[in-house]
Amino acid sequence: MIVPIGPIHPALKEPIRLKLQTEGEKVVKAEIEYGYVHRGIEKIIEGQTWQRGIYLSERVCGICSYEHTQTFAETIEQICGVIAPPRAQFLRVITNELDRIQSHFLGNSTFFKSMDHETLFMHVLELREYAMDAIELLTGNRVNMGWNVVGGVRMDADERHFKPILENLKKIEDGFEITREMFAEGPALALRCKDVGIMTKKEAIKGRAVGPIGRGSGIKYDYREDHYTYEDYFDFKTIWRKEGDNYARTLNRFDEIPESISLIRQAIDNIPKGDIRVPVELKSGYAMRKNEAPRGEVTYMIETNGNLIKHISIRTPSIPNMDSCAKYMIPNVASVSDAVSTYASSDPCVACAERVSITDENGDVELKNIDEVM
Amino acid sequence: MLNAIKDVVRKSSIHVCIVNCGGCNGCDVECVALLSPRYDLEQYGIYVHNNPREADVLLLTGAVTEQWTDNLKRVYDKAPEPKIVVSIGNCPISGDVFNQEGGHVHAPASNFIPVDAEVPGCPPRPSEILEAILAVGPQAIADRGREKK
Repeated sequence: MIVPIGPIHPALKEPIRLKLQTEGEKVVKAEIEYGYVHRGIEKIIEGQTWQRGIYLSERVCGICSYEHTQTFAETIEQICGVIAPPRAQFLRVITNELDRIQSHFLGNSTFFKSMDHETLFMHVLELREYAMDAIELLTGNRVNMGWNVVGGVRMDADERHFKPILENLKKIEDGFEITREMFAEGPALALRCKDVGIMTKKEAIKGRAVGPIGRGSGIKYDYREDHYTYEDYFDFKTIWRKEGDNYARTLNRFDEIPESISLIRQAIDNIPKGDIRVPVELKSGYAMRKNEAPRGEVTYMIETNGNLIKHISIRTPSIPNMDSCAKYMIPNVASVSDAVSTYASSDPCVACAERVSITDENGDVELKNIDEVM
Repeated sequence: MLNAIKDVVRKSSIHVCIVNCGGCNGCDVECVALLSPRYDLEQYGIYVHNNPREADVLLLTGAVTEQWTDNLKRVYDKAPEPKIVVSIGNCPISGDVFNQEGGHVHAPASNFIPVDAEVPGCPPRPSEILEAILAVGPQAIADRGREKK
């Protein structure tokens, strides 16, 4: 029997259709149908200036909107041969890590909601509000920050901004330990998420899983290790686990939060004095840059023609994560409700994913499996 | 008498369904933030259920994409009477940044279903969304419940 879930469904916060093929209670196969939020954003950005492009790139995705603008700005900077001044790089690290904290809290809260654990859902969302407060204090907005420009950041920050951010981080740390312990050591929760939705390391490599989903399956890879700001100025360790089940993925997201808090503390303590923005002389050329978004690696490939963007291609982490979820995690889970929570544990972001549809010559839109395309 | 009791019941228990018809997710995230203990949606008798068949209020986010041109009306028809529609963000009003050359959106949403209240912003703050639901929700639901009789 085929059980369709979505596009509007109590368990999903974004429109997508999951088709689960079941034998009795057991789910044997899953398929994901995309296409509900395709807006053609890459086509819109083509032929615009970077000022419009960076605004549009923020609207690719609402949850990890910050990382898109930073990658966009860094790609144009690479084309023009400039690097943002150190103070701007430090300010970018602060906003980036705050965004990562709120995104990981949101991902985990969605997972707990899908398991019907209201208590943890509320605890995690309460902690997330402190991160949102810190973002609002620094940038002026809650979701779409508008913080990056090509050549630096938009505004300077000083002690008046850093002090409340540190206070909010303290509040997150106070509530964090007990929340994490409730999940990590709760026997009832562990029964529902340990050994459910297992993806081995081999399968994760085959499905190109990235971010906390790949790291939960044993791929020790975080693009921040290769980023010039983090390489030169910051110390952090990549969190990874071996199990590859729902428990590992969720705990991996939890454990990355203290690392992000420590990175923000390092940035605030050691922030250098100087300019926050350098003038950029626009050139034509092509560049590709990667960055570690909360959900994994995001890649921007931009070709410019003087001051206009000739072509842009965006690769977001959600497509490989969701496809490896459908292909490797969901098959052989015990029941339909476990399949839904497994889907939520892969932290899907549909708005990120909807940029490509594959059309055959007859004009029928057909969405294919990622293994057939690559 | 019966109508008065119905009014009280309808006003004090509002079920909400969020319909994302093709946005960037930002407004949906702010709707999820409404559930957090800080805003605590449920103290006003509002319950986010995400099931159109049980909904009194449809929260509409996103510019209407190709897939939603037919389906939006179908989702609206599935919600039982009396019902109201609150659109959140700039996208359902004008299409925002997506409504330009190269984009595949069919904004405004009011071309497809009747919209009762619009909350502009990209995205609006959670308190604004809550204010809009409370301002238009309970009274309109009660009034429309009487119209049908």
